[in-house]
Amino acid sequence: MKIVIDVFIAIGLFFALAGTIGMLRMPDFFCRMQSSTNIATLGILGVVIGGIIYALGFLGDPSMAVKIGIIGIFNLLANPIASHALMRGAYIHKKKPVDELEVDKLGEDLVEEDE
Amino acid sequence: MKKLNAASFAAVFILGYLFWLLITGQIIAIFSGTASGQILIAGVVVCAVVAFFSAGFFIHEKAFHLLNPMRLVMFLGYCICIFPIELIKANVVMAVRALSPKLDIKPGIVKVPVDLKSEYAQAMLANSITLTPGTVTVDIAEDTEEDGRTYFYIHWIEVETEEPEEAGEKIKGTMERALRRVWE
Repeated sequence: MKIVIDVFIAIGLFFALAGTIGMLRMPDFFCRMQSSTNIATLGILGVVIGGIIYALGFLGDPSMAVKIGIIGIFNLLANPIASHALMRGAYIHKKKPVDELEVDKLGEDLVEEDE
Repeated sequence: MKKLNAASFAAVFILGYLFWLLITGQIIAIFSGTASGQILIAGVVVCAVVAFFSAGFFIHEKAFHLLNPMRLVMFLGYCICIFPIELIKANVVMAVRALSPKLDIKPGIVKVPVDLKSEYAQAMLANSITLTPGTVTVDIAEDTEEDGRTYFYIHWIEVETEEPEEAGEKIKGTMERALRRVWE
């Protein structure tokens, strides 16, 4: 039982570490956002699942397990909206890396609208 | 503000009350017979106020669309099985990419067609895409294209193809098919 909890928390920590390293290494804002999604999904979910098993198996406290689960659910609901808003804001205000994109269909379409 | 109708009020109220029971821990107390009447009644009042003000924002289409056993099973299957599998696959790929010595990225924004009509389904698909590491929905084009389809603009960290259909299949093929079964 203890091992299962440790494995889940270790998975979460590994993905959080990978996300952090990715954030530091990526060249521009958009790619950094992509890497940070790693932390917000499996990084948090791993720890949440480990916490649920700990609360149920060791503490025998189901209401604590439910609350930890709710943290995970609300995180999954709120995170994409924030990511999307940040990406769109950065794009519209033309942060520098826009020129470095390989393909930029949104930019092409916006130019067409302006003309 | 949109006009309040009873069905959307009821749907938001039920959802809110469910979360109230979960957060206050009463859902376990109900099963063991030690629920506190005070908390339950306070929940009714709070949820009624919240539902009154927010139902118009939350519910735009059929309020009880999911109350069909088949759809509910599909919905839970998507949340518990199909989406997590996609999520884990993408997470592993992204972690390997971040940790590999040679930073192997080729970022770009692609435009992919989406054949979902329902607003809920589009929102859910856009959020699923954003939650998957490696892809983020930047914008949605609705009713502005000549062919009348909805398009998502997706920032993709490794652009494998610029072809709209092919890119769509790679990014969201499985998820879109599953969501169509749930919502349509």
